[in-house]
Formats: sequence, structure tokens, C-alpha cells
Amino acid sequence: MSRPDLAVEIAGIKLKNPVITASGTFGYGREYAEFIDLNRLGALVTKTITFQPRSGNPVPRICETPSGMLNSIGLQNNGAEAFAANDLPWLAQFDLPVIVSIGGDDIDQYCRVTKFISQVEGVSALEVNISCPNVKFGGLGFGRDPRMAADLVAKIRTCSTLPLIVKLSPNVGDIVAIAQAVVRAGAQAISLINTVLGMAVDIESKRPRLKSVVGGLSGPAIKPIALRMVWEVAKAIDVPVIGIGGIASAADALEFILAGAGAVAVGTAVFMDPQSPIKIIEGIEEYLTKNGYDKISDIVGALEIAE
Amino acid sequence: MQVKATVLQKDEVAPQVHKIRFFAPRIAKSAQPGQFVHIKCGEEQNYILRRPFSIHQANSSDSIEILFKVVGRGTSWLAKLKVKDSVDIIGPLGNGFSLKSRPGKIMLVAGGMGIAPLIFLADKLAKEHTKTYTVIGAANKELLLDYMNLKRLTRKITAATEDGSQGVKGLITDILPAAITEDHPDVIFACGPFSMLREVAFIARREDVDCQVALEELMACGVGACLACVVKTKTGFKRVCADGPVFDSREIEW
Ligand SMILES: Cc1cc2nc3c(=O)[nH]c(=O)nc-3n(C[C@H](O)[C@H](O)[C@H](O)COP(=O)(O)OP(=O)(O)OC[C@H]3O[C@@H](n4cnc5c(N)ncnc54)[C@H](O)[C@@H]3O)c2cc1C
Ligand SMILES: Cc1cc2nc3c(=O)[nH]c(=O)nc-3n(C[C@H](O)[C@H](O)[C@H](O)COP(=O)(O)O)c2cc1C
Repeated sequence: MSRPDLAVEIAGIKLKNPVITASGTFGYGREYAEFIDLNRLGALVTKTITFQPRSGNPVPRICETPSGMLNSIGLQNNGAEAFAANDLPWLAQFDLPVIVSIGGDDIDQYCRVTKFISQVEGVSALEVNISCPNVKFGGLGFGRDPRMAADLVAKIRTCSTLPLIVKLSPNVGDIVAIAQAVVRAGAQAISLINTVLGMAVDIESKRPRLKSVVGGLSGPAIKPIALRMVWEVAKAIDVPVIGIGGIASAADALEFILAGAGAVAVGTAVFMDPQSPIKIIEGIEEYLTKNGYDKISDIVGALEIAE
Repeated sequence: MQVKATVLQKDEVAPQVHKIRFFAPRIAKSAQPGQFVHIKCGEEQNYILRRPFSIHQANSSDSIEILFKVVGRGTSWLAKLKVKDSVDIIGPLGNGFSLKSRPGKIMLVAGGMGIAPLIFLADKLAKEHTKTYTVIGAANKELLLDYMNLKRLTRKITAATEDGSQGVKGLITDILPAAITEDHPDVIFACGPFSMLREVAFIARREDVDCQVALEELMACGVGACLACVVKTKTGFKRVCADGPVFDSREIEW
């Protein structure tokens, strides 16, 4: 019996399988190369890069919570230039699509990083992290408002010919409206979800556990929220959705794929088990084989809902 | 590297303090004093993060030891392990103590659980016949861990306990200046709570002694990817897991 075909196409880029490492949890790949063969991944999304270096937030930056964790790293990164000089050339040794996540404080900063990244070698696609606060609009996240999100994406679209993925924040009223708006503005794929806003308190010190008080929740705790959003958005748009949120096993990934995700990204799970992306790839293949499917696309959105 | 390590031995060496020896030849062979391991505690999905522990000993070439205090869920789980149980361990991680400048006299400064990485170091130094002096502090006599080991491995031990049950009654930083004056170390290697290390760094600078400190911070990945466990240094945030956990004390923004 031949092995099932795991290949997928997202925003015009070909992935050998649908399993991607999520932004911010996998660095630029280097740290995990001793644990797994990066050539086996469907793609890698970098930690979000900004045009200028960012020092990030004070500690504590994380806190473990029931079935999840909070983080407020604050987009610490060495800036686009250092990334292009030190990390991209290193990643080029692998047979691995590199999706560069970009962020900024205002549209101008997003455009500058977009233009810079678009003229360097080794980038397969851009993932626009629209969860960043828009400092020109009182720090309200770009991803909170369909108009603001669409304006940003349309502007970025004019700065680059690279395939464009837009990563949505779940901390919004109507996720479908935002997804539709950014697709109209030129997004060729949608990643969702980013982290869910949350907080935790140490009752002994009476202090918030994160120095920045509020942070982003990730891990299995957010999986049902992510799955619901992926299902709603996948039905409403005609570009692929990358499902993200609490995926730690092949079964988790398959839930997202059945709900309509064309690919999945694994974040927090790699902290516990660096092998998890590989185990997920193998588990998806096993599931397809066991159930007699020749290719992954046969099960994308194959959710059966009783009348 | 990521390995499945079997528990070879487990002892409660003081109330709520346990020592576990794991069979982990690949980690043991490359481990350096000051490095740590990142341990998966519990099988269920509700432990999201591994727990970091200093390598307490790795001299037998096929096993490593950790020494830890039960403070929460992960350490409670570890404390219940039995001989022959198998545990998922990543390591050795981080940068250990630097012995590059071949110091003549070394002073180990251990506050509470801070003794954990220093035994491995003391053992290595003893094998190299380096002159080593120890200043140790804890809440009480029972928690002056590894006292007998230190006696064997180092030339002299000066101790302080908060309740006065052994050594001087007080804090380790109360007895450190006199110990420095008496023993003239070329370098101090210190581990303990952050507030103690800050004080040690201050004393070391005042006495003009080089000082390396092993820091702790809340960690997620443990390998340098996620930027959770940073410490503020003179040249910006650095990762405790990958740039440390041992730092030159003058580098830190205390
Ligand atoms: C490099 C390094 C080496 C360490 N070596 C030792 C050692 O040799 N012996 C020892 O007893 N302890 C050591 N610690 C501290 C040890 O990691 C914590 O005591 C342990 O993680 C607590 O886990 P818990 O689930 O029992 O506690 P909980 O409070 O339930 O843990 C909740 C979360 O906070 C984290 N956490 C809590 N306290 C600390 C801490 N002090 N440092 C880092 N993370 C913490 C846990 O890892 C977990 O993610 C070390 C820490 C670091 C960073
Ligand atoms: C420590 C940490 C850092 C993150 N950094 C970024 C980031 O820089 N950019 C981004 O778009 N998402 C970032 N994320 C969000 C993840 O990419 C992912 O969307 C989210 O964690 C949900 O997936 P998970 O439950 O599998 O982790 C980060 C998440 C964590 C836990």
C-alpha cells in the first residue's frame, strides 16, 4: 500500500505536510535543530520580527496556568537586519519553507519590515502578526477592528509580492468579519488563533504573576476556542486556514483539519516535547492510512454535522 | 539531547528535600558544573512546562543527580518517583561555571538549595586539586545540605544558619566578607536566591574578587527559543537558559 500524500498548498507555497511550528515558540529554528530534523517540518514560522530591535517586557514574562500558560514576552527580537544577517542564511541549509512573522507599532513600521524582508533571500511567505497594539490608535490591537486590520493588510500588500498570511487575534467580537476583511484586503491564508488575553494573581504577594499584569494564554486550555474560531472562519472564506491553539497531539491536529484547517501550527506543545511536531506528522499519516485516505486534502473540512 | 532516564536511587536527604540519581550516560558524559536539566514532570497534559534543575552530580559517567526541594506540583510529582521509574529529561542545558582563567583559590558560596550545582563543581575542583573554600548558609542545621560531602571536597567550610543551630546565627552574606578577608579567593562561584546573589555580587565587587552567579528565572522552552527567562544585563536582556544560567556578576543589572 502506498503512503498517503500529506502535501498541502498554503498561500501558494507547497508544504510537504501540514504541520508548521508556530511563531514565538520555536525561535528561528536553531535551538530545536539538535532535537528534531527540521527538514521534516511542513514549514517554520519565525518569532515575530520588527524593523528595529525590541528589548521586550520585564520579567516575570510567563506563568503556568491550568492546562496552559500565560506569556508577555513583548516581541523581543534583534530587528530585521540582524535576522536577515544571522538567522535566514542559517535556515537556508534546510529543505524547509520559512514563513517570516512580522510586527510593528504602526502601519509605517509594518511596511518597513515588509519591504526589508521582501528583498532578502530565503523567505517563502510573510505572516502578518496583527495582534500588535497600534500606538497611533491608543494601543488598540490592529486585529481588533475589521477596518483597521484591512487597511494594514492592504498597505502591506502593496509593499511586497511575497505570499501573505495574516494571523488573527482571538480577542475580538466577530472573528469572521475580521477574517473576511483581511482576505478582501489581500490575505492569501489566515492563521488563527494567536493567544487569548488572560491574567493570574499570586494571592500571597497580592501581585499579578506577570510583570505586565495581562498576557496571552496558550496551550490545551485554548484549544476549544481556537477550534470553534477555525471552524467558523474556514466556512466563511475561500483561502486556507492555518489552525493554531493548544495542538499537542495528532488527534488535536486532526480535529482542526476536520473543522476546516488546511494546515496546523504547533506552539506551546514543543516546550513539553520538542518531538511533538514530528509525532503529530506521523500520527496524521497513520490516521489517513488506517482510514483508507490517500491524501490529506480528503479530510480537510470533512466534519460531519448531523441535520 | 532528550532522553528517557531511569531512576537508580532516590533519598529524602532532609525534610522535603530529595536527591534522585538517574541513569543517563549521554547527559552525564557531556555535563559541566552549572549546567541544568529540564525535566518533564507528570504524564498528563496539565503540566505544560518542564521543570529546570541544576545537575547536582555527574561524575560517575553514566548517571546524573538532582537535589531539589518540594515547592509545588512538579517537585511533588518528582518526590513520588520510585526506583526504576522512567523520566523524560532534556539536557545538559546552558553554560556552566567558567574556569578559563585557571584561578588559584576558589570560594563556593551556597545559599539554601543553591548548593545543588556547587557539589558537582566542588567535586571537579577537588579532582583537579584546586584550593576550594566554602561559605554555606541555610535556614537551619538540617538544611545545610551536603555538609559531609563539602567537608570531604573543600578545605574549609564556614556556615551560617538563620536560627543559629549551626555556625554563625545570621545570613550567609553576614559571614562572607570575613571569609573573603581570611581566605583570599581569586574567584567566587555563587548560587542561591536572587536577593542573596545580589548581595554577594555587591560584596565581591567591594572586595575586588571575580564572581560568577548561577541564576534562576521562570522558564518555558529551556533551550533559548522562547525568550521567557531573561535577565537584565549591562548589554540588554539575556536568556538565563541559553546565555546562562551562570553569569559574571558584573554583567547583571542588579
Ligand atoms: C536553571 C535552574 C536550576 C534550578 N535548579 C534547582 C535545583 O537544583 N534544586 C531545586 O530545588 N530547584 C532548582 N530550581 C528551581 C526549580 O526549577 C523550581 O523549584 C521548580 O521548577 C518548581 O516546580 P514546581 O512545579 O514544584 O513549583 P510550582 O510553583 O508549582 O511551579 C509553577 C511554575 O513555576 C516554575 N517555577 C517555580 N519556582 C521556580 C524557580 N525558583 N525557578 C524557576 N522556575 C520556577 C515551575 O517550573 C513551573 O513552571 C532551578 C531553577 C532554574 C531556573
Ligand atoms: C512564549 C510565546 C511567544 C509567542 N510569540 C509570538 C510571536 O512573536 N508572534 C506571534 O504571532 N505569536 C506568538 N505566540 C503565539 C503562538 O504562535 C500561538 O499562536 C499561540 O501560542 C497558540 O498556540 P499554542 O497553544 O499551540 O501555543 C507566542 C506564544 C508563546 C507561548
